[in-house]
This record gives sequence, C-alpha cells and structure tokens, in this order.
Amino acid sequence: MNAILQAQQLTKHYPGSIALDHVDFTANAGQSIAIIGPSGSGKTTLLHCLAGILRPDAGAITLNTPSSPLRLDTLGDAALSRLRREEFGFVFQQGMLLPELTALENVALALMLNGTDRTTSEARAAEWLAALGLAGMEQRRLGELSGGQVQRVAIARAQVTGARVVFADEPTGALDSATSNEVLDVLLHSVAANGRTLLVVTHDPNVAARCERVVELRDGRIVADSGTVPAPGPAAPAAPATEPATTNFKGAFNV
Amino acid sequence: MSSLSMALRLTPYLARSNGSSFREAGLRDAGLPILAFGTVTALLLTVAGGSQVFWSWSDDIAGTYQALAVVAMVLLIIPLLTLGASAARLAARRRDDRLASLRLLGANSATVVWMTVIESTVLAAVGAVAGAGLYACVAPFLGLIQFRGQAIGSHAWLSVPSILGCVLAVCVLAAASAALGLRKVVVTPLGVRTRQTADGAHWVRGLIAAVVVVIGVVAMGMLSSFGTFIVIIAVMGGCFGLALLALNLMGPWILRLRASSQLKHAKKPEQLLAARTVLESPKESWRQVGGVAMTSFVGVFVGVGMAVADTMGTGGDAETTLLVRDINTGVMITLLGSFLMVACSAGVNQAAAVLDRASTLVALDRVGMPQKLMVAARVKAVMSPLFLVAGISAAAAAALVLPLTGAVLLTQPVVFLTIGGVFAAGFLLVRLAVAAGTAQISQVLARPERYAGMDS
Repeated sequence: MNAILQAQQLTKHYPGSIALDHVDFTANAGQSIAIIGPSGSGKTTLLHCLAGILRPDAGAITLNTPSSPLRLDTLGDAALSRLRREEFGFVFQQGMLLPELTALENVALALMLNGTDRTTSEARAAEWLAALGLAGMEQRRLGELSGGQVQRVAIARAQVTGARVVFADEPTGALDSATSNEVLDVLLHSVAANGRTLLVVTHDPNVAARCERVVELRDGRIVADSGTVPAPGPAAPAAPATEPATTNFKGAFNV
Repeated sequence: MSSLSMALRLTPYLARSNGSSFREAGLRDAGLPILAFGTVTALLLTVAGGSQVFWSWSDDIAGTYQALAVVAMVLLIIPLLTLGASAARLAARRRDDRLASLRLLGANSATVVWMTVIESTVLAAVGAVAGAGLYACVAPFLGLIQFRGQAIGSHAWLSVPSILGCVLAVCVLAAASAALGLRKVVVTPLGVRTRQTADGAHWVRGLIAAVVVVIGVVAMGMLSSFGTFIVIIAVMGGCFGLALLALNLMGPWILRLRASSQLKHAKKPEQLLAARTVLESPKESWRQVGGVAMTSFVGVFVGVGMAVADTMGTGGDAETTLLVRDINTGVMITLLGSFLMVACSAGVNQAAAVLDRASTLVALDRVGMPQKLMVAARVKAVMSPLFLVAGISAAAAAALVLPLTGAVLLTQPVVFLTIGGVFAAGFLLVRLAVAAGTAQISQVLARPERYAGMDS
C-alpha cells in the first residue's frame, strides 16, 4: 500500500509532560486507522500534529501528494491552513458546525472557502447530504437536526472538498449507541467508497473494532499496532464523487 | 429551604471555591460584564452630571434649556439602557455551564434563576463602582464645558446620594435584565440551550413606523404656524421622539430584509456568514447599531435646525445668541455620547459573540478557515447594517425637515460638511471598537486548548 502520511521521530512536550515521545507512524492510502489509548496518552496530540493543527517540537511529518511530498513541520501557518482546507477533512465530537447556517450552507462553505462558486458548492453539498441520508433536510438549521444528523452534516463537510485524509476526534462520543453505530457506518462507508484515509481518535472499543488498523498509545509512545487487518462489516458502497465534472453515483448508499 | 436562601448560600460558596478558575477565566467570565457595566455607569453619571446644571436655573429661558436637556437625555438614556441590558445578558450567559451542572446536582429552576440574578448584580455593582471612579476622573473636564457664557464647573459634580442612586439603578437594571434574559434560555441538567423562537422582525413594524413618520412629516410641515420659538422647539422635540420610535420599530425589520437580500446574492464565504449572522437575530443586530441610527438622525435633524437657529440668532438679542451657541454645544456633546455608547456596545457585543463561539472558531480554524475571513465576516455583520441604518436615518431626518433642508443646503453648505465629518468620525469609532472586539479571535486561536468544546 502507498504511504500517504508519515511521521518520523515525532516529539511534542507540554509543560511538565511529554505528549509524544519519538513516535514513528505511517498511514497508508485508503486505510481506516483507530488511534486508542487512555486519557493523556497523546492520541489527540498525534492526530493534531498529523493534521497540521499542532507543530511538533521535533520530528518530521510528510504528506505524499500526487505532485510531490510535503513536509508539514516546515510549512507556515497560512500554508498549513490551506492544506487543512484542501487535503484534509475533520469530524469533531460535537460537529462544530455553524449554528446560524443551514445544513446545506455548512457543507457548501467548505467548498466556498476553496474558491468554488456558490452554485456549484451548494449543488455538490446537496449531493453529499442526500447520499448521507439527509435529503430534504438541506434547509434545516442545526438546531432542527438530531445529534446523529448533525454528525452526518459534519461527515459531508469533511469530504465534500475531496479531502484525501479525514481526521475524526471522538466522532461518536456525544451520541447514544444506536445513533453512534449509524454515524460510524456512514463515516466508514463514505470514506472507504472514495478511497480516503481515515484516522479516528476514540475511547470506544466498538469504533476501534470497526477500523482496519488499531494503533494504541500510552505515555506518548505507540505500544501496539495491529497493522493491516481486514475490516469487518459490509462492503463499501459508493458516495458522491467530489469533483463536479465527474459527479456520479456508483451505487446505492445504504446507511 | 427556599430557592432564594439556597441561592444565597450557594453563590458565595461557588465564587470562593471557583476563585482560581475565576481569575483564569478573567475576561471571558467577569471582565467583559464589569467593563460594560462600568462604561454604562460612567456615561450615565456623566449625562446626569452634565445636565443637572440646567435644573439649577429658574429664570425665563431656563425652561427652554430644561426641555432641550430632556430631549438630549432621552436620546442618550435609551441606548444607555440597551447597553446596560446587553451587559446584564452577557453576565448571565457567562455562567451557563455552571448553572447546568447545578441543575444536574438537583438545584431547581428558581435557585438557578436567583443565582444568576445575584451574580449579575454583583458584577454590575463592581462595574458600577469602577464606573463611578471613572466619572470622578471625567467630571473635572466636564466642568470646563460652557453654558450661558460660563463654565459649568462644580455643577458637573453629582452629590454622593445621586451617585449611589445611579449605582443602585445600574444594579437593579442588571438584576431585572438577568432575570428577563434567562427567559430566553432553558437551563437543563444536560446543558443550556437557547430557546428556538422566531425573531419577531415583522413587516407590521414597518407599517407602524411609516404611519409615525407621516404624522411627524405633517407636524413639521405645519411648523411655521406654531408661532413662537419655544413652541417650535417643543414641536420639533415631539417629532424627534416620534422619529426615534419609528426607527426602533423599523430597524430590525429593515435589517432582516436587507440581510435576506444579501444572503440571496452572497458569493463569498464572508458575505454568507455576515448575512446569516444578521438573520440569526435582526433585533440583536439592531441593538448594536441602533444607537448610531439615532445619532445619524440627530446629526441631520439638529444640524439643519441649528443652521436655522443660527440665522435667527444673528439678528436676535444676546440671550438668544447664547441659546443658539449652547444648543450647538449640547448637540456636540450628545453626538459624542451617542457615538461612545454605540462604540462600547459594538465592542462589548463583538467580544462577547467571539467568546460565546470560541470553540466553534477553534474548530473552524482547524478545518482551515482563515482568521482574516472570520474577522471579515464579523466586521461586515456590524458595518453593513450600520451603514444601512445610518443612511436611512439621515434620510428620514432630512425628510422631516425637508423645507428647511433645501434652504440650509443652499445657504450654509458647511453644515452638511460638518454632519458628514461627524458621521465619518462615528463610523471610524465603531469600526475601531469592532476591531477591538474581534481582536478576541486572535486570542482565542492563540490558546485553542482553553476553548475547545466549551461553546455556550
């Protein structure tokens, strides 16, 4: 498999503690990887460093793009911000969407930030919402959606731009178990259908069990890595393509 | 144990046990409400102190000064109360997380309401005392202002009971606004959420406002038939009050219309965000810019009136000449006060809005939204309604004094240049205040770990 994201000797300190202690990590393209570990083990710090949100104190992070490898640890704030917009997608525990916008606008905004015009952005956002089971809810504001529906909007936002890596930080942490399973299905299937890489930070063993690979951290070090274990669950159905010119549906998207 | 006595026991206990985090939270929890209450109190005392000189006179023309002082005070007091209410809401909303935790522990709704009222009142009291101190610093300069040919001097100093009365009034305002403000949120054991209520910026407001404006225009058209200078001033004052009422009725409705149109045509992310911010609560947007609407109205209305009065004063006696000069002074002070209040209101509201949305802003930064775009959306959400209402208000005032406007434009164009200058200064002041408020975005993003996952 092709490595898409690599970290070498990643080190990050906080006052009085070490969050990452010379971590080597490689994410392969198209893999779903769960990062688990007790509180304070460094899993969220690892995710933030890999996503270009935090700068490591030492070590290298490389994103392999189609054109050339990019060293995240050497990029400036503006370049990192652009990289997060264009190459990465994010799903947070509480959705973290804008409550004054509709579901459609929240998803379309991600494209508009990349310079796509509003009409195209909203058309593609509508396709994504429909594919994730939110057809007819495009004009609803977040306060009018359930927790699970809000997370689906967040999943759509994370992928509508064509992000090659999706980072999820406790994406089902605020949901009940039934809704949690539904959201996880949506997340895993949509990511797999589009050949994207998924990195999930989670406390939930059920979430970890659904990922292809589980990496366990403790005291800032990787203490276990399951490698590439075939993922359980149904075969991945298709989601909308992300480029407007090639928008199509490969099949039904049952979630 | 009653809800009140429970609240009285819990509030100081929590304040004590929460001391270190209270200091850490600083600006977020207590600083802004205290700053806002301090500003309100200082401005309230300055207005009261400056105007009390008029009530010490008892000669023939004193009535005219007193009538004009009342108009000026009405003009300043209304936005002042609005600012006070914003400050109180701010104080109440700062405590959301703790209130939800208390509900989880079994505190009933009434206890939570009492605690909020008590905490808001305490913050108001601290701010009011600081504001009184600020007034004490300002009062000597206030005494330099001249009316009827001499500095008002020690007349600008309020008595201690008056100052205490103002401090008490601010505290009462805070308590009442906190209790009313809580009606808009539901505090449950699982958190605090805002009630999903439709904002009542209805077209009927526009209709009522139009009727009020028509009444005002008719009255102003008949101005010359009212005879004496004093009666004319009184009629102008009445029309002025009607126009303010119309502006307040119409403001939120107009802002909603404008924002709907902007939303429809928005092409850039910041345009979309700004329009949605206004549509989220047109009344809230109006509360921020409404003061400048009134100031714009005053600028044109009184500016034209002054030009006419100046013409009358040129050929009049010394007393009338002094009156005209004093009206000029009063207008300038009123305008300055209005702009200061609007700037304070905009700054405090923006800072509060940024802090309320801190975790969402952190999340948006993480997904790659540029900080300058976040700032641009907030600035646009304030300045766009500001320009709109200022323009409409100025036009409404010009329409009210239409027969006079044309004459003044021809004979004294410098009056309009002055008005334009005052507007530009006012816009700049508000823009600076908004910049100060949105500067919080940088601080939030500089320490994201403090704010992640704590939106109210």
